Amino acid sequence: MRFLRSALLSCLALLATVLAKSSSGDKVLVLLDPSLDKANYSIFFNGLEKRGYDLTFRAPKDASPAVAAYDVPNYAHVILFTPDTKCTSPTNPHPSHARLTRTVAYASDITPQSLVGLLSENTNLLITLSPKQTPLTSLATEFSLIPPPPGTPLVSHHPKREEPATLVPVDVAPSPMLAKGTAPVWFSGAPHALGNSPYLVPILRAPATSFAADSTDDSDAAVIVDAADKAGEGLWAGSQLGLVTGFQTFKNSRVIFAGSVDLFSDAYARKPLPDGIPSGNAQFVRDVAAWVFQENMVLRIDRTAHHRVNETEPPEMYTINDQIVYTAYISAYNPRTSSWKPYDGLTDLQLEFTMLDPHVRTALPPVAGEPGKYEVQFRAPDRHGVFKFVIGWRRKGYSFLHTSTTVPVVPPRHDEYPRFLSAAWPYYAGAISTSVGFFVFSALWLAGDVKGERKNLKNTKSE
Amino acid sequence: MPAAYPLPENISPAVVSNTASLLRIIALGLISAAAIASRLFAVVNFESIIHEFDPWFNYRATRVLASQGFYAFWNWFDPTAWYPLGRVVGGTIYPGLMATSGVIYNILHAVNLPVDIRNVCVLLAPGFSALTAWATYMFTRELKDDSAGLLAAAFIGIVPGYISRSVAGSYDNEAIAIFLLMFTFFCWIKALKQGSAFFGAVAAVFYFYMVAAWGGYVFITNMIPLHALVLLLMGRYSSRLYVAYSTWYSIGTLASMQVPFVGFQPVRTSEHMAALGVFGLLQIVAFAQLVRSHISSKQFQELLLASVVATGILGFSAIVALTYKGWIAPWTGRFYSLWDTGYAKKYIPIIASVSEHQPTAWPSFFMDLHFLIFLFPAGVVLCFRSLRDEHIFVIIYAVMASYFAGVMVRLMLALTPVVCVASAVALSSLLDAYLDASKPDATEPDESSTQATSTNGSNGASRSASSTASSPTVNPKKARKNKEKEPPAVPGRALGELVSEVASSAAAAVHGSDEPNSKGIFGLDTRLAVLVNTIGMLLFFVVHCTWVTSNAYSSPSVVLASQMQDGSQHIIDDFREAYYWLRQNTAEDAVVMSWWDYGYQIAGMADRPTLVDNNTWNNTHIATVGKAMSSPEEVAYPILRKHDVSYVLIIFGGLIGYSGDDLNKFLWMVRIAQGVWPDEIQEPNYFNKGEYRVDAQASPTMRESLMYKMSYYRFAELFGGQQPVDRVRGQNMPMNGPKLDYVGKWDVSHESRSCLILLMITEEAFTSENWIVRIYAVKGDDILGRDHKTAQGFSEGKKRKRSKPVSRRKNIGIGSV
Repeated sequence: MRFLRSALLSCLALLATVLAKSSSGDKVLVLLDPSLDKANYSIFFNGLEKRGYDLTFRAPKDASPAVAAYDVPNYAHVILFTPDTKCTSPTNPHPSHARLTRTVAYASDITPQSLVGLLSENTNLLITLSPKQTPLTSLATEFSLIPPPPGTPLVSHHPKREEPATLVPVDVAPSPMLAKGTAPVWFSGAPHALGNSPYLVPILRAPATSFAADSTDDSDAAVIVDAADKAGEGLWAGSQLGLVTGFQTFKNSRVIFAGSVDLFSDAYARKPLPDGIPSGNAQFVRDVAAWVFQENMVLRIDRTAHHRVNETEPPEMYTINDQIVYTAYISAYNPRTSSWKPYDGLTDLQLEFTMLDPHVRTALPPVAGEPGKYEVQFRAPDRHGVFKFVIGWRRKGYSFLHTSTTVPVVPPRHDEYPRFLSAAWPYYAGAISTSVGFFVFSALWLAGDVKGERKNLKNTKSE
Repeated sequence: MPAAYPLPENISPAVVSNTASLLRIIALGLISAAAIASRLFAVVNFESIIHEFDPWFNYRATRVLASQGFYAFWNWFDPTAWYPLGRVVGGTIYPGLMATSGVIYNILHAVNLPVDIRNVCVLLAPGFSALTAWATYMFTRELKDDSAGLLAAAFIGIVPGYISRSVAGSYDNEAIAIFLLMFTFFCWIKALKQGSAFFGAVAAVFYFYMVAAWGGYVFITNMIPLHALVLLLMGRYSSRLYVAYSTWYSIGTLASMQVPFVGFQPVRTSEHMAALGVFGLLQIVAFAQLVRSHISSKQFQELLLASVVATGILGFSAIVALTYKGWIAPWTGRFYSLWDTGYAKKYIPIIASVSEHQPTAWPSFFMDLHFLIFLFPAGVVLCFRSLRDEHIFVIIYAVMASYFAGVMVRLMLALTPVVCVASAVALSSLLDAYLDASKPDATEPDESSTQATSTNGSNGASRSASSTASSPTVNPKKARKNKEKEPPAVPGRALGELVSEVASSAAAAVHGSDEPNSKGIFGLDTRLAVLVNTIGMLLFFVVHCTWVTSNAYSSPSVVLASQMQDGSQHIIDDFREAYYWLRQNTAEDAVVMSWWDYGYQIAGMADRPTLVDNNTWNNTHIATVGKAMSSPEEVAYPILRKHDVSYVLIIFGGLIGYSGDDLNKFLWMVRIAQGVWPDEIQEPNYFNKGEYRVDAQASPTMRESLMYKMSYYRFAELFGGQQPVDRVRGQNMPMNGPKLDYVGKWDVSHESRSCLILLMITEEAFTSENWIVRIYAVKGDDILGRDHKTAQGFSEGKKRKRSKPVSRRKNIGIGSV
């Protein structure tokens, strides 16, 4: 019995490790600043490990384990709990510069450039910022985030509470990536304004009553009032500020910029809110990590197909005005079973048939009864050229779906035109009448009367 | 005729004539051999390779035809050309050339000669040059006699003006078109002389072949009607003309409309209206002649004349009205540029940008025709002396072709045959006079001449009689045949008599003028002086032709040759190096953007889709490429991305001194782009104070342009601290390019940054050995959605300026308005 139970338990444990894996891999590198204690974030880290992630810890200036070897990333995800780590290795790889920056706090494999390089290799990043000016702050600007001046944390005097004004309870707006009804979270750190990049995914916004300031005693209130007068320019205040913001790159790798590392801490997770209910930090950071590690809202196009109506195989080329059937198979990642499942939840998918410009843009609706299959039938334009079937589906928080298939659309073959045209009847009549006329003339000529012949003879004789 | 060296009495005339014809055949065979052999320099010096630009497309099309059959070729839609528009190849080419090679290829394979299609294509032009020599022989024989024909054949066989378009590997439409041109003209002359519907039909069939083979068929379409019109105006209307022209026009036009590319053009465009108009006019004149021959009332005839004139005017105005209505397309720009040489530069820069559309420089007349160019007028004058119908044809041809050859270098080709023919007539007349061995004995009347005058004098028998010993035996038969044939073809008896009278009197006049017996050159010293001179000129002509052919016209232009210091030949093979790099290292559907000159070569050798190529059918698409090349990178990038361009290929000759590079063509790109986007691209911006400069004084627009940047990217490094020099334009380039430091990383000092060429949107992918071809890969979207300038700055470690949150209320305000 005991044996059975242990076997069952081990099976369950195995299942648990198999479950909840990210769609892009489960090796996680955690860069933990030496000033931070790993034990303070045990809820977060243990939660990750419990969900099957394989965490490796490393101080930012350690050279090994390396983030990437020969430009190939060693880890699927990197967590940078290094909000205050100051200097980075020289961005300009000139040796003289390197000498100047001997006192590096990051090993040479962590630079803003290498982090962006990791993203292009489909590694996900979880980055924590702080009010201090660090290399990561300047990295954030590349992601269209606008950090406030250094040393200006988020301040809010509302609601009235015992905690300092820089420790703010923030309501969590409902979002598909977060569990429903997540309680407000404690936050203390730097906000950031959001630029106009369409790839940004705002997750946690600052409360309307908050602002970024370098002190809590309202000494520079005049500056804020002044900025507010200038139609909000330079105003680091209000719910337009982001606290935790996601970014999904063009290649579907994901980044989280969190304004505070304490957000992930055990202390905040356990700290009750001013109104007594438990804080939502633990749930919130779990959901955020699930998103950035590509567990949730991960979609992909399995395959696409196209063919003429009443055929099954894709032709080498289409003829103008053909009826074309285009099919896309889309599946979503299911973290519970760590498998891809056909997904038919997209209602706003569109298909474009483009040559320079979209000639056809049509809805690509899911097929009822066949999950994951999206199909549309349309008429090819009356225009020959090299066309592309394009699906470009970009929604905040979801993986971008993009596919493009090139097919030539050609004019009809010479024998595919209609054989007889009603408009051409004058010509047919002309041809027929000429033929008949020639026949009649020949017949008359050959079987003509002898009289004429005699005349002819006479004529030639007289010549 | 008494000859100084009389023929032996015991040889029968049949033997003489057989020997003469055998000699002619041998001569023609040798001429053909010479014509073919001199065109093989390109193969011997280089290799069996397709030349130039257009032939690469023809070759590619022929391969499709040979491998997939005629119907697949006819319906061939090429999705890789003019990406993404594609090209309906079957409907936009003259398929005659490919069909010819395909037929030859299939015949060779049918008799188990497994010849590669490439070799068929390479050797097609030399093969057809032999046929051209034969056709020219036939044509000239109609004008004068066999000896003139042989001379003309020899001339056309080796004259550089024709060789320039028909060396081995120059697999272009002209390769077969000149043969077709000459043979069509021969058939036309033959049909006209004999009033033969058969030869008219043969002319029409070859006209159809010509239409299927070359756009220059319009020359025939207008030459023959012009000839007919001139004959009409000279009062030389005859039923022979009517039969020949009507047969040719009706069959030829219907046949030409079967070529998909031509389609309804013969009845819809102005270029073809002359032929239609003359056809109509002939019908009216024929009708009038018929009526006149039946009715004798003088008033009625005047009325008839008036009505004929009225009908003609009515028909002409109908054509004009239809043109204005849009039913008939007006003249095309190419046509206007023939009359106004400045027209193309102003309105259609794409035509003017082609070097072979430039007006001809006078030395090239000598270069291409050598001593024929000054024999040519003499030949034309001789044509005036015996002004038969075919001589009028040659005169018109000479006048028209001389004009066209002066307007466009390319049309030198159309002039060359008539120059050869006229020169041959002149030279043969000269030789007749100086080689004729007859003695000053004026008593005996020439029997053959009386015979010839009794015929219509239309087959040149009279002249050949005096020069060839064989003709007295051959020609009377022919003449009799003609005589038998003639009367049924002539409907109006009175008119027929009139015509024959005119013709015979002309022939008599001709004959009278060169009666050799009373007047002539009889002194041996005079003869020798002239003959030695003539032979000397002929020898120099051969030397010149060989030299020009081997040095100027046998370069494949895909491969460049240069002389090393020790005189050995050095092959510069950058083009093929680059094209093969593309072929082997890029994705099969990677779109390559280049200037249109290289489109066919990229398609043929690299097998990659191109945006534009030498089939310049879409001016806007070419202007788009021109705009991308002449714009700054930020402007060019969206254009490149929109057209899915993966690689940009440019030709840069600055290092090795190759003057045909893209920077020298750059102003044409600017002009063509300006034609479509006059607000964005302006030619003066690319000049510095009216000078075209590429050095430090280059205008800012010039320096910012994508073409400039890609051309000189990392150029200065190559000189390792020396003064960089652009050898094509002879200008010193700025020194301060980026320097290579010892760890092999780029260090860019801030001072040099202003002159430094940085490429944001593309990165260098390949540069050929001598830097002639440079290929750049277009960068994809930045993964963070930044513009490439920012992304580049970030990856180079530039600090960004801090920004502030933007005012939102203002935005909302603007948005709501």
